[in-house]
Amino acid sequence: MDVAPPAQLVARLRNVLGPDRVLTARSDLMAYECDGFTIEKNSPDVVVFPSSSEHVSDIVRVCNEFDVPFIPRGAGTSLAGGCLPVGGGVMIVLTRMKEILEINLRDRYAVVQPGVVNVWLTQALKETGYHYAPDPSSQGACTIGGNVATNSGGPHTLKYGVTVNHVLGLEAVLADGQIVRLGGPAEDAPGLDLVGAIVGSEGTLAIVTRVWVRITRNPQGYRTMLGIFESVEDATNAISEIIGAGIVPAALEMMDQGILVAVEEAFGFGFPLDAQAVLLIEVDGLEAGLDQQRDEIDRFCKQCGAREVRRAETVKERQQLWKARKQAFGAIGRLSSSYCTQDGVVPRTKLPQILASITEISQRYDLKVVNVFHAGDGNLHPILLFDERDQQQVARVLKASGEILEECLACGGSVTGEHGIGVEKIRFMERMFSADDLAVMRRLRDSFNPHNRLSPDKMLPTAGACGMEQTHPGRRAAL
Amino acid sequence: MTATPDELPLEETIDIRETADVATVIAGAFANNRPLYPIGGGTALAWGLPAVRPGIGLMLAGLNRVIDYPARDMTITVEAGITMQALAQQLATEGQQFPVDVPQAAEATLGGVVATNTNGPRRFGLGTVRDYVIGIHAVDGRGTPFQGGGRVVKNVAGYDFCKLLTGSLGTLGVITQLTLKLKPIAEQRTIVACAVSGWQTAEHLLQALIHSQTTPMAVELISGPTWSSLTEWPTGGPESVDGGLWLLAMLEGTEPEVRWMVNQLLGEWREQSIEQASELTPEQRSVVWPALVEFPAGEGPLVVRASVVPSATTQMMAAFREVDATCELQAHAGNGTVIARFGAFPAEGLSRTLVSRLQPLAAAADGNIVIMSNPGKSEMTPQSVWGGSDAPFQLMSAVKRNFDPKNLLNPGRFVYH
Repeated sequence: MDVAPPAQLVARLRNVLGPDRVLTARSDLMAYECDGFTIEKNSPDVVVFPSSSEHVSDIVRVCNEFDVPFIPRGAGTSLAGGCLPVGGGVMIVLTRMKEILEINLRDRYAVVQPGVVNVWLTQALKETGYHYAPDPSSQGACTIGGNVATNSGGPHTLKYGVTVNHVLGLEAVLADGQIVRLGGPAEDAPGLDLVGAIVGSEGTLAIVTRVWVRITRNPQGYRTMLGIFESVEDATNAISEIIGAGIVPAALEMMDQGILVAVEEAFGFGFPLDAQAVLLIEVDGLEAGLDQQRDEIDRFCKQCGAREVRRAETVKERQQLWKARKQAFGAIGRLSSSYCTQDGVVPRTKLPQILASITEISQRYDLKVVNVFHAGDGNLHPILLFDERDQQQVARVLKASGEILEECLACGGSVTGEHGIGVEKIRFMERMFSADDLAVMRRLRDSFNPHNRLSPDKMLPTAGACGMEQTHPGRRAAL
Repeated sequence: MTATPDELPLEETIDIRETADVATVIAGAFANNRPLYPIGGGTALAWGLPAVRPGIGLMLAGLNRVIDYPARDMTITVEAGITMQALAQQLATEGQQFPVDVPQAAEATLGGVVATNTNGPRRFGLGTVRDYVIGIHAVDGRGTPFQGGGRVVKNVAGYDFCKLLTGSLGTLGVITQLTLKLKPIAEQRTIVACAVSGWQTAEHLLQALIHSQTTPMAVELISGPTWSSLTEWPTGGPESVDGGLWLLAMLEGTEPEVRWMVNQLLGEWREQSIEQASELTPEQRSVVWPALVEFPAGEGPLVVRASVVPSATTQMMAAFREVDATCELQAHAGNGTVIARFGAFPAEGLSRTLVSRLQPLAAAADGNIVIMSNPGKSEMTPQSVWGGSDAPFQLMSAVKRNFDPKNLLNPGRFVYH
């Protein structure tokens, strides 16, 4: 819809939701023209705020009647353009469906609406001895519905798994408006694991309106350490040694010198500014085993050349270390006006190789790149710093990002570990998957979303589109 | 419950040696409208509705190579016909494991385990098959090879075929290759057991475990004549359950962790007035653990599996016991999984016992009951075998049609309408 949405469509939506839950003014729509991936923007034609599954179902039926595309959105923290309304249409914002409907400790699950912010659930569980394990760095803002759409991870996924490992069931509105329930609090529902198919489908198969999640027992204790290294290579060797010895830390995060400087400026934790890399390592579990694991990790780090291994001796010190890690992105503002966070994955043992490649690529394109990432999973987040107003720099960022992701593939990895394909990485789908693989993926999408009105031009490249050079990332699918 | 391929209406069998041959055979079958029955170790052929249409047996156990085992990355890529035992032996050389406990591991293939989503006692602490499959190759009903996932432990590119195909009973595609995420083998393992005097006490003990300081990998409730005679169990209070009832917790970890947990758990149980609990001896464990893993594959005129919310576990076990005083029961009680091996085929038939009585009870506990094996094949209907008439089978059927438009892969055996 390049022109104003049909008055009849808007009237029908207002009829379903009431007048104050339908936005159409240009100034109102601007807030929804992009998500955390800001390089690409396009405004929806209408934004609606349902507060029930029935609302969502009615909205979807109206959209089908008028043959307009529709796309769900949570908090809009996607870093890959997952919420970009490529073809305009109706954006269904689920943030008013924000109730925690049930917490059932005996059966170890909780039921939430999709707009519940990730950290709210763990806060609600505070006195119970349980928590919700997936903890993306944006957990203070991102919604569990959005986590389901992208199959989000976070630092503690190394031991506890990603979102899909914690989702037991879903209620969802299908592309035709039908409301279905898949799975639930009991395990092993007969038939296909459609829950597993929908988690991570980036809003292209269904709109999730209710989520049954597994809650996880809090560990009895933690040991949190900071290994300080003279070189990135030493740090990555230490990771290999630790995991190779059969220790699975709860989290194993790396920050390089570039990000350390920013974090130190922002928070003043006393990080050594001359260290080339630090590892934030946490083991958790039974007190009876933790000191032994801590001592082994200490030994491996030192064997690999660590200058020092600091220990968080108090709860407060532990919280500070995690604050530094989780707010590292916020500190980047001190380094640059704009940045592009990449999300690649390599087998853990290829970390030295990929980090060397990233350095080489950034030098060749004359860009500053800093790294803060989930090292234990081999999940990289190189952050490319640039000035949005300089078109030449933007072009160099795009090219360098592409080369970094190509290197991840060359190492046997993936172009996304937790942020999703969105629109940003559509062109890489053909690098990762064969034409047959993509054809089968399209057939799966067609089973759920036969008219492709739900989140069109996301995740899967349009069949038969020919290779065109990008001037903006991610636009190919929309051709 | 080992079934032989003879139980399937096979006109011929084809021994697959190379992955590429799977696509060739399926494409040929597609052209000639011939049904295909994928067969790994043949240990779970009793699953599902009886096959009716004659077709080709696709013998996949020869597809058993290890393709890549980068042990330091803690992943392995193998052909799907590798047996669980061969896989475990390979992984043990590096102190690693794929921690899914499967009966008949010498015959059962990894591909079959994934296709049937077979899981055992340690699902409580270590998760299920779907948590470990990170890459999959399969061939759809047209003969098109396709793949999902990759070889890295974290990956959200594209639709997750690993999940979709896990538990799909080979009806969307024939699995040819799998990449698994691995775990280190724990240094030590032990089992703590106690006799439980009744269903209600058992539920109280399970509730207490929710707040236990220990972290068991498996929480099992067992009852029935073969369990009674298996070993010298701890004795308990007055027994009110036919066939006895025992609660077992399997503990894994480093030596100090396991020692601490044994003492802690025994202490927690004493607070619940369980005085006679004890740690099993190594000799006992060498009998009890294999029995816990092999139980679902044991003989019986009917084997069913209930999956309910964990708080309904004891209620479900009691209901089975009421229907058949001699049935053998095993529950993965932390997960709400109850496996019942009947001593005698229900005299009133499946429709009156299973469909009208037991399945509604499971449904009331948010769950379902499916048949794992029924050698007599009587009363095998979509409802008795798969239960759950209000599940979204229509949507599943739409997926099936897109993967296998001629309905040639394991036709008539799964949930589709």
